[in-house]
Order: sequence, then structure tokens, then C-alpha cells
Amino acid sequence: MTELLRMEFSKLGRLTSVRFSLVVLAVFPALWAYAPGIFDVYGFFLVSGFQVPALSLLSSMEFLLPLLIAITCAELLGLEIVHGTLPTVLLRPITRSQWLLAKVLVASVYPFLALGFFLVASLVAGAFYGYGPFVGGTGLGREGLLGSGLMEPGVAVVEVVRAYLVAAIALVPIGLLAILFSVLFMNAAGGALATLATLIFMQLLVVFPGIEPYLLTTQLTAYVQPVTTIGWVVALIAFYCAAFAAVSVVIFERKDF
Amino acid sequence: MPAPAIETTNLTKRYGGRPVVQDFTFSVEPGQVYALVGPNGAGKTTVIRLVAGLAFPTSGTVRMLGTNPHEHPEIRRKLGAVVEAPAAFYPYLSGRANLRLHGRLAGGVPESRIGEVLQQMELGAAADRKVGIYSLGMRQRLGVAAALLTRPEILILDEPASGMDPLSLHLVHGVLRDAARGGTAVLLSTHHLDEVVAYCSHVGILEEGMLIDEVDLGERRARFRATVSDVHAARIALETQPWVREVAVRGRDVVFTLVDEAAILRVAATIVDAGVSLRELGSDIFDLRSYYRERVEAQRASRTAGDGSLRIGRDGSYVPHRTDEPDAVPVAAPRREGPA
Repeated sequence: MTELLRMEFSKLGRLTSVRFSLVVLAVFPALWAYAPGIFDVYGFFLVSGFQVPALSLLSSMEFLLPLLIAITCAELLGLEIVHGTLPTVLLRPITRSQWLLAKVLVASVYPFLALGFFLVASLVAGAFYGYGPFVGGTGLGREGLLGSGLMEPGVAVVEVVRAYLVAAIALVPIGLLAILFSVLFMNAAGGALATLATLIFMQLLVVFPGIEPYLLTTQLTAYVQPVTTIGWVVALIAFYCAAFAAVSVVIFERKDF
Repeated sequence: MPAPAIETTNLTKRYGGRPVVQDFTFSVEPGQVYALVGPNGAGKTTVIRLVAGLAFPTSGTVRMLGTNPHEHPEIRRKLGAVVEAPAAFYPYLSGRANLRLHGRLAGGVPESRIGEVLQQMELGAAADRKVGIYSLGMRQRLGVAAALLTRPEILILDEPASGMDPLSLHLVHGVLRDAARGGTAVLLSTHHLDEVVAYCSHVGILEEGMLIDEVDLGERRARFRATVSDVHAARIALETQPWVREVAVRGRDVVFTLVDEAAILRVAATIVDAGVSLRELGSDIFDLRSYYRERVEAQRASRTAGDGSLRIGRDGSYVPHRTDEPDAVPVAAPRREGPA
């Protein structure tokens, strides 16, 4: 399994979608940090480099990041289908579930890698504003961007890192949903599009307040929620992940190639 | 008695209710090179994928060295296979890197073995080039190299000749023949009937997902043919001889096998002593192309008319027995091929 994981991680770096995502995630914060219409849209001015990561997340968590994660995770399987290597791999003495679980594990780690990169790119993009103490908030803490006085850099870093960590956790089930749809359709594009369609559908389900707290899309804003609610969010996301992974394996185990 | 290398029993595969493979029962023993031939869509690739464990049968069983490959995937350590045409590899990796990856998936293969199979398939010079720039034939050879990597007991190859030039084809034939001599069971599918006759030991003919005939080519190569004035008298004369194994009549010829091939020297005298004039005596060269065509056409015709059985036609070949032909004498449709 270790060998399989090593192989799958090495394939991740070869994916076109990963390279594309890295470019987007590098350029996006730089564009947003200096965009002239920020005040008009968001109603604030940036005063610190620690606020750029918040701006990046606020602008991308609803659509861009789920899209990038879904495309890459769908391509994890789609790449094998395009190259025709799936049957070749399955002829080796590994079980189908072992192979798919290696993919699932890579898809689970990928949001953390992507958001780690996004955070670094956002901090670098905010260099112009400086990283010293500032009056206001990071936008990722309890007081939002207005803050409650002077924000020390150490506190700002903790808030930013915590928020990105929670955001990455919230993106994991989206990656696994993309894997599930790829297994179902045996097609990367189909997997990514079906995932997006599901997310859009879930966003429409807010008209049912009773189920809203349990929706996958609701968890996409968990990074701005109080720390006390994170346990519940993580448990719910873990349930989604386990369900998506289990269904993927069950379907994959019975597929004809 | 050891289990056959590959064994299927009543293997059936349906897609959406439509049977693609029906009641497919066959076996491949160690050392045999078994070729599946048949028209496009006959079910060859599906059989290959069912046997390799890539597809699940609707009913029936597949056994690899006596083991179900779905229940015991570890049996695939003893399997080498190419099921894609052209053979599928990661195009951004070199040939050698792809084989390393295969080796790791197979549980570890020494670097020296990777070099050995690359040399064997004459890919040494291209080993460190990316597979993306390989020609079709080179990919196919790399596929065979990957299949041979673990010194498998079973080799399964779907259309190994696809995209290969004559020299590459000759190379692959030699490698497969050597593998079979070493005790490996080889199962392949192909459209190249000449290559089947050249190096396969058995051939199975598929039509509409059914195994309509099997021919033991080794036994076929050991057959002799005598063109005589009276086939029945010649047959009676030969079948009473202890050095004759089997005799049958085919058209105007008597076809026979001998206990010892040296006994061919006695055949002419035996036939002449029986009062039959001998016009020609020699090896019975098996024309698989004609045989295959006859069998497939007979099978197709039997679907539209008749009861599925065959009769011997005027030219000695099998033709479908039609129930609207009262003078036709039916014979049983040969399942496993008989002496004639």
C-alpha cells in the first residue's frame, strides 16, 4: 500500500489540472489584492498582508476552489482511463479496493496541498501591505475584517492558518464526490461536472432550512465559523467522506473493464 | 493431476441482456499456446478480459491455476498480460520507468530483469525515451516486455500482433514460443491466422460469443493425407494396421495419423496391397484460413436455417445441414475437432 501511495502521489504532480490549478491559485490572490473594485464589492480596504488570505478564500470558496478540487480529483481516475492504464494496473496483484483507496487518500490530501499553496500565494501577494501589527481583523476570525483593535502578527497567522485548514477539510468530500462520479461515469469530465451539478443543487436546497446545516455546501463557509462548531463540522465531513469512499469502492469492485 | 493454467466452465457474459459470450468452456494447459480467433465482435476480447479477471461473468466460472482470480487477486503474481491494443503505458514516463512501475505493482522486480526483458524485446536503445514518442509496434513490444517481467506462468495477450512490422512479429512469436517451451501457458487473441498456424499449439474459433470449434494444431501437423481411387477400401486397409493411430475420410482423401511417423514408409504398400491406386501421399497441410471460413459460415448459416448440425459437402468441407435438404446426411457439429 505504501508503494501504491507513493506512485499515486507521484502521478498527482503530472496532472494537467494540478498545474493549471497552481497557476490559478498563484495568480488569483495577486489579482484580488490589488483589484480596484474591492471596496465597491466587499466594502473594505486592505490594510495588512494578513487580510489577503481572507479575501482569497471569500472570493473562491464558493465556486473556484470546489471546481479546481473536483477537476483534479476526477482526473486522478480519468488519467488512467485516458491512457488506458486502468486495466493494466488492475492485472497486477493488488485488489481493486486497495488501488481505489490509494486514489481516495491522494484526493483527501490534495485539498490541503492546494490550500497550503493558496495560503502562501495569498501571503506573498499581500507583501505590499506588510505583515506588521495592524488595526482591524484578518477577516477569518470572530470580528471579521474590522477586528477589535490592534491585531498582532502571531494571532493573525494562527487565524489564517486555522481558517485554511478548516477550508481544506471542507473541500475533501468534494474531491471524494468527484472520485465517486468518475467511478460511476468512467470519465474525468463527467466526474467533475456531476460534482459541480451536485454542489449547485445542494446550494439550492437552502430553501429547506431543516437540512441546510447538513449540506456539503454549508460546510464550505465553516472556516469563518466559531472554533466551538468545528468538531461538528469535522464529524459531518468525515461522514460524507466515508460514505463517498465506501460507495466508490463498492461500485468500482463490480465494474467491468 | 495439476489444475490447468486457465480453465473456464460455461462462461457467459451478457450486456443488457444481450449475450456477448455464451457457455464458453475451455482450458489451456502449461506449455500450450492457445489462440482465440473469430470475426470482429465474436467475443474474443471479452473472453480475454473475463479470463484475466477484468470483467465479471454473468454465470460460469474462471479459474487461473485452479484459483478464482476475483477471489484471490494474488494469483495475478503468476500472470503477465497485455489487454489493451496498443499496450497502455504512462506516456510521460520512459519505457524503463513504466516497467519499474509495473515491477513495483507486482511486488518488486530486480533492475537487472527489467533490462533483460527490454533487451529481449529489442527495446534497449529506446528504454530511456518517453513512451509517448514510441511507435505502435514499440508500445506493443513494451507490452510484451511488461507481461514477461515477472516470469509468469500464464501469459494473456489481446491482439499482440496489432501494429507490428514483420520483424517485430517474428520476435514476439519467438518469445512466446520460448515461454511456452518453458512451461508458460499462453492465451492470445488474433486475426492473423498465418501466425496462429506458425506457432500456436491450439486454436479456438469463436462466433457470436460461442466456441464453435477447437483444433489441436500439434495433432494437425502430425497428419498425413493420401489421395486414392477408393477411399473406403483404403480406410479399411489402414485402420487394421497397428501402426496407424486414426483414420478418416475427407472427400477423396484418406487422412490419418501414425503411431510412429517412420511408418509412413509402409502406407503406400498397404494401400496398393488393398487393390487401391494411390495418386498422392504427403503431409496433410492444414489450411486454417479455409477451415475457419467454413466453420464461421456454417455457424452463421445454421442460425438462419437448419438445426445447427453440419454435413460434409461435395468438396469434403463442412457445410450446414439444412432441414429442407432431404438428401443431405448430417454429421454432428464438431465441438472438439476430430481426426478428419
